[in-house]
Amino acid sequence: MPIAPPWSQPVRRRPTVMAEGAKIPMTAAIEIRLSGSGGQGLQLSASVLAEALLREGKRVAQSQSYEPTSRGGISRSDLVISEDEVDYPLVTRINYLVILDDVAARASNALIKPGATVLCDESRVTQAPSGDFHVRMLPFAEKARAVGLERVANMVALGTLAGLSGICPRATLEAVVRDETPAKFLDLNLEALAAGFKLAEAPVSE
Amino acid sequence: MLASVRQNLQGNQACALGAIAAGCRFYAGYPITPSSEIAEKMAVELPKVGGTFIQMEDEIASMAAIIGASMGGVKAMTATSGPGFSLKQENLGYGAMAEVPCVVIDVMRGGPSTGMPTRPAQGDIMQSRWGTHGDHPIIVLAPSSVKEAYDQTIRAFNLSERLRTPVVVLLDEVIGHLVETIEIPHIDTIERAERKWATEARETYLPYGETDDGIPAMARPGDGYRSHTTGLTHGPSGFPTQKPAEVNDMMQRLLGKIDRHRDIVDDVETVGCDDAEVLVVTVGITARAARRAVRQARDAGIKAGLFRPVTLWPFPENQFRAVEARVHSVLVPEMNAGQLCLEVERLSARRTKIARINRIDGEAIEPAHILSTIEELGRHG
Repeated sequence: MPIAPPWSQPVRRRPTVMAEGAKIPMTAAIEIRLSGSGGQGLQLSASVLAEALLREGKRVAQSQSYEPTSRGGISRSDLVISEDEVDYPLVTRINYLVILDDVAARASNALIKPGATVLCDESRVTQAPSGDFHVRMLPFAEKARAVGLERVANMVALGTLAGLSGICPRATLEAVVRDETPAKFLDLNLEALAAGFKLAEAPVSE
Repeated sequence: MLASVRQNLQGNQACALGAIAAGCRFYAGYPITPSSEIAEKMAVELPKVGGTFIQMEDEIASMAAIIGASMGGVKAMTATSGPGFSLKQENLGYGAMAEVPCVVIDVMRGGPSTGMPTRPAQGDIMQSRWGTHGDHPIIVLAPSSVKEAYDQTIRAFNLSERLRTPVVVLLDEVIGHLVETIEIPHIDTIERAERKWATEARETYLPYGETDDGIPAMARPGDGYRSHTTGLTHGPSGFPTQKPAEVNDMMQRLLGKIDRHRDIVDDVETVGCDDAEVLVVTVGITARAARRAVRQARDAGIKAGLFRPVTLWPFPENQFRAVEARVHSVLVPEMNAGQLCLEVERLSARRTKIARINRIDGEAIEPAHILSTIEELGRHG
């Protein structure tokens, strides 16, 4: 005897509420990419910036790309900053690009927005991109060595980026560095950040 | 004050926090990129709430462990990526057959095989539905933001407990590793569903009997009920059977139980679907790209719409058909060689033009790519 399947029997079915995406955020976002070689601390500096922006009341989307090695290989961390909810969280037209190593020198060319600011480490980037945007060669690694450790070049670059762009107040960045980076590196990180802000004040030589 | 907290949170970590908010108190896993942060976060957070974290010897054992923990009465979860998801399939089928609530998070990376550990893909769309053998019920939820990773993980537990079935939360690597500013609601505002435990007389208890809602009550260990659990086809008593009528009853109830509760299972997001002529259907990070593309297309005067199945499986057929009936073209962008489009083709009327965008190089599909295809479809519609 055929047996009626339960799902063929009438079932109380409540119509699913279709949430119309009434308001799609339209605010212009700022897009930032920190790129270089794996191990240069790009993810860390991006999270410090993201946390500082959060404290400033902004909304961020931070994404990353890295290779399956803990050192070397191309590494990048991207931030999309918006007043409202970020609609598409990945970068498509970069406003500020930091390049700390040659391995990442050309990787972002197609995404640089005309008029963007590109900050390159002058010792480790020999093939800086060129185009309809401003490129500045800056001594991030050198300043990092001067404060005691080349590894904090990421913090120097972060300071310069914040200083030049005005996207985040210095005091907020410093507070995040105090709260979220290891105590052992605190002074070093703060000095590196300060060195970065100082670089931002130097006269432009493109 | 039940205030929410605004913070920057990663998709994977949001899954872990969502799980704990949902009442998950057991995690077993074997770390695998790009899902490892889920295990890391659970290892830190579970002990704080009296839960148990175990790093198992492999993916298979992790799946077995959460099924065991769940049968012991604890809400349990594991997380993995494609290669591990393949290994879990046998025990996932056991969970579906024995009707053991559990949550599996699959953070999709480039495949097949070990593929590209750190690169995104959406290649497990069909595996999440049909990865284990035999006809089986399963629910798959597909978040496309960090907030949704949190919310849908909670929902996964609630559906799993209510319907006694494994639930898969399917993320792509982008959403798993994405950090977004989100509001985490106060823990006391979270809605939690609890399992139906047996309370009837012990003498007449049937661990797999028919019930009003198709969901049999589970016997809590220690409550003294006679219960038998097996992956073999079983009758109401839980003991194996091959009697056609009993097998049919059991299988019909098992396969039908999700459909009987579509009112709580289905979930879709639609944008501009009221008047859309070109409809985009997609999930995960690709849906974020599509949402921007749809907005830009509408700004340019093209009637575009987005249909995003938040509950990916069972696919929300009725909602899709209702929208599809009004459009002339459907575009399915996905980071695989063409999987979701198969379901869309199955459900679409013959006259509807179906277009695909497939990207399999480990990069996300950009909004501009979707927009240009919408424009093309809009012109030729």
